[in-house]
Amino acid sequence: MTVADFQALSPLLVLAGGATVLMLQIAFVRSVSLTAALTVLTMALAALSCVHAAQIAPLQVTPLLQADSFALLFCVLFCIGGAATALLSQDYIRHHGDEPEEYFLLLMLSTLGACVLAYAVHVASLLLGLELLSVSLYALIAYPNKSILPLEAAAKYLVLSGAASATALFGFALLYAATGTLEFTALGQQLDNTQMGQSVLLVGAAMVFTGLGFKLSLVPFHLWTPDVYDGAPAPITGFLASVAKAAVFVALLRLFLDADLFRYRILVEITGFLAILSMLAGNLLALLQTNIKRMLAYSSIAHIGYLMIIFMACITSDNRNLASEAAAYYLVAYTATTIAAFGLLTLICAHQVERENVELHHISGLFWRQPLLGGLMLVAMLSLAGIPLTAGFVAKFYIFNAAVSGHNWVLLATLILGSGIGIYYYLRVVYYMTRRLEQHHVQPTVVVSWHAKALSCILIAGILLLGTMPQSLMAYLRSIL
Amino acid sequence: MTTLWLIPLFPLLSATLLVLSAGRMPRQLAALLGAGSVGLSAICVALVARTYLADGQVQELTLWTWMAVDNFTPRIAFYIDGLTVVMMSVITGVGFLIHLYSIEFLWDDESFCRYFAYMNLFVAAMLLLVMADNLLLLYLGWEGVGACSYLLVGFWYRDPDNGAAARKAFVVTRVGDTAMFLGLLLLYTELGTLDIQPLMAAANSQWQVGDTLPILATALLLGGAVGKSAQLPLHTWLPDAMAGPTPVSALIHAATMVTAGVYLIARNYELFLLAPPTLAAVAWIGLATLLLAGFTALAQHDIKRILAYSTISQIGYMFLALGVGAFASGIFHLMTHAFFKALLFLAAGAVIHCLHHEHNIFRMGGLRRRLPVVFWSFLIGSAALAALPFTSGFYSKDAILLSAWTLPGIGPWLWAGGLLGALLTGIYSFRLVFIVFFGEAHTEPDQQPGWRMSGALIVLCVLSLVGGWFALPLAGVLPDKDHAHVSHAVEFISIGTPLLGLLIAYLLFLGRQVSIASLAESPWGKALQDFWYSGWRIDKLYDALLVQPFKCLAHWWRNEPVDLFYNALVALSRWAHGRLITLQTGELRWYATSLVFGLVLLLAIMLRNAS
Repeated sequence: MTVADFQALSPLLVLAGGATVLMLQIAFVRSVSLTAALTVLTMALAALSCVHAAQIAPLQVTPLLQADSFALLFCVLFCIGGAATALLSQDYIRHHGDEPEEYFLLLMLSTLGACVLAYAVHVASLLLGLELLSVSLYALIAYPNKSILPLEAAAKYLVLSGAASATALFGFALLYAATGTLEFTALGQQLDNTQMGQSVLLVGAAMVFTGLGFKLSLVPFHLWTPDVYDGAPAPITGFLASVAKAAVFVALLRLFLDADLFRYRILVEITGFLAILSMLAGNLLALLQTNIKRMLAYSSIAHIGYLMIIFMACITSDNRNLASEAAAYYLVAYTATTIAAFGLLTLICAHQVERENVELHHISGLFWRQPLLGGLMLVAMLSLAGIPLTAGFVAKFYIFNAAVSGHNWVLLATLILGSGIGIYYYLRVVYYMTRRLEQHHVQPTVVVSWHAKALSCILIAGILLLGTMPQSLMAYLRSIL
Repeated sequence: MTTLWLIPLFPLLSATLLVLSAGRMPRQLAALLGAGSVGLSAICVALVARTYLADGQVQELTLWTWMAVDNFTPRIAFYIDGLTVVMMSVITGVGFLIHLYSIEFLWDDESFCRYFAYMNLFVAAMLLLVMADNLLLLYLGWEGVGACSYLLVGFWYRDPDNGAAARKAFVVTRVGDTAMFLGLLLLYTELGTLDIQPLMAAANSQWQVGDTLPILATALLLGGAVGKSAQLPLHTWLPDAMAGPTPVSALIHAATMVTAGVYLIARNYELFLLAPPTLAAVAWIGLATLLLAGFTALAQHDIKRILAYSTISQIGYMFLALGVGAFASGIFHLMTHAFFKALLFLAAGAVIHCLHHEHNIFRMGGLRRRLPVVFWSFLIGSAALAALPFTSGFYSKDAILLSAWTLPGIGPWLWAGGLLGALLTGIYSFRLVFIVFFGEAHTEPDQQPGWRMSGALIVLCVLSLVGGWFALPLAGVLPDKDHAHVSHAVEFISIGTPLLGLLIAYLLFLGRQVSIASLAESPWGKALQDFWYSGWRIDKLYDALLVQPFKCLAHWWRNEPVDLFYNALVALSRWAHGRLITLQTGELRWYATSLVFGLVLLLAIMLRNAS
């Protein structure tokens, strides 16, 4: 390993080192504020080190990891997402868990897993990252020990996610048996010269797809999503919906791009098929939900469906840059928006241990009571619905454009249909928030710490900026792809 | 150069602050913010205007590109030439005076903050409209001023009539806006850009004079202009829009927003020059509107409605000027009209303010000695409106009439029509002066206007008197008609007609040499008066032709097939939700089964495809 190698891996090393420091700190001093501060600091450092690493990118370090601008961009995104989650969690976890310090340790580890996924160019690193992410998440979901729901959610997630990982692993084993390699690029090249029958490859591919599709909660592997999202602590649900999904998506996209799986028409068509199912089912399931967490869970299924359009758009190779650009923009916008939405839920039930879910009527009139929180939710909902001047609009427009230039008309029609249904349930949240209530119905005002307020302001500003002045990020994406 | 972006920013920022205060801001601070921000903009405009007058350089500033996807690159960019400088000066200058006046006028209103928030937002949107370098940004400003107009007409929203007036204003202008938007789409598809200067260049190179496409495009743009500027046949909203506070009428429905249509045509004049039939239509629409509104104004009782019809009529003159190709004269009249009509509205507002919200002119009278400042303001404003010699209105209206005369062919007809309009203007404006300020008093004023109201009135008086001597920096920006060689007889007739109008008004309403009562009592007189009073029954006509059939259709089609489709869509969605939700059993074993099921499904698809 040379100095350049270390430089390229510095984000991962910072996160891993930070986890060790955190562990030592917890062993000597138990203090939530200190742990949270250290976590945020480490993630900020890791994000900064990405800039440092970008100077020598692209560089392949060992066959497992590749530090290029694409990976580093997402590392920054994941670190920021992790830091935001840590900031939001502080009050929540103090009231909901007994020993809150290790929570941050686990959060750091799962962020590390997400970053590894962004770096992965090898099946081994992909699986390592995936498991690091998932195993930390099992514990994170079960962390609040004052209620039974998180435990149920964690158990469901553990069993199903384990099964999915095993399926993916089996699939990769079959591919390995056929091609003799685990590197993405080499794997792609060997696929055509394999001695084994084509059916082995197909079965392998299907199993890999099932495993990763489960993590992305694509229909028909989506059934776990609402139960787990609902039971998990709100900040972790936000993390699960944004960072964890984005990481798996990035890894999948890279697998397809590096191994050039787009040559296999059937594989791409399956992604399109699942995209259609996800868009429709996600939006339809969310339609009449009154539990906001479940509603957002279904909406996340739909959003991953929108994102999967990218794969179909990638079939023609000259469209691939636009499509990856669109995917990257969408992931940035979606992560910011999702963290904002779940951030609000976190803040609302931070001090209420007995409340396990947030129903629509719990946020009635929120806009008048607490304009900042109302504004946060308003911006998040508008962005999810894809209303102009928010990040979500530009992101959706991007996907739209990619689909148009890829001539994917059926997908486009479903996207429009799904967005139409979506507006109903997103705006219903806004409607509830802006209702004026009789005095006795008014929900109590929640206490919000100054750093959560600051974070809310940043998120609102960020989502609006991404929607009004997307040009700088677009130009940057274009330059690195 | 760098101060350009500050011009719309000040009022926008102030509007944001006022909105965020949610009405809890102290009045003094709100007044300071509201008027001060427009004042700061006015100072910036003055700086920009000074630079422009010194070197005559067009200034351009691109703030940022909203998004760049393929060729579609809508930019937030400004383009400042002589036309923009004139418009900006009117908006911020007159706007500042009206804001100052409003502080006193609305001091006792409970929604003081809300008022200034809307007004500032309006000024920002209007500035955006005139500063935009592309039609898309212009359209943003266009819709912005429309929304603010809606909000301000319905400002006293507790009275349902005001809400109805606001809705009418919004819906009627909406008709024009839709036409305009179609025009923009047509221009974009045909010429591939919406940036005004490249658009003009492309139109000139791709289209010939008299082609169908430029005629269609300009006709659609004209639709937008007609709606916004309250010209026939979309003029019906403006008289009702007087339901808003009087300073709003002065700013939005006299000085600035309603002239946006004139600005739009002047800004795209190269396009209109490619379409002679549209230009002719502009002229005829202007003429028809100015006559119709002039007659209607003769028969009104409400002081603000008289002024509203007068505004419609004066914008008719501007359209006439544009239609005969005298673009610079049209903009000149726009500016002088902004001065004297704002003055008239503010003076009328002062009368209404001092007479416990009395609007009916027949319950006023004899106010000459009781409200001297207001009287002189009103007199000067009316003189300028009637285009009596050496007032500002005289110069601009004279230029328009002479330009019409020089047009070969239909020119003399347009001139004669305009002359009749000038006669009517003289009659109705002095009818108003004589009835309100002379004769015997019917209502006693209970207060005098304070320094803010009087100050704004006095400054506008001066502007109305000397505004005709300003040399507008429009040479080279807009074409104009040369009317130096018109015979003196025509000039004398043009000058004499308003004086004749004044004389008739004197005979009818002050000297009582001719009994107006006996005229009005005769059956023909009565019928004519009713006809004019109702605005030529156009509201009734539209009600019978459009509103009632529409309501009828809506009633018949309550369960229309189209609706059935959407209802079915809703029912289908609900049904699908109900079916899908049954899959969410919460049972782990079923979830695991679904995983296997999905895998089998994928395998089946793949293997079937492979074989």
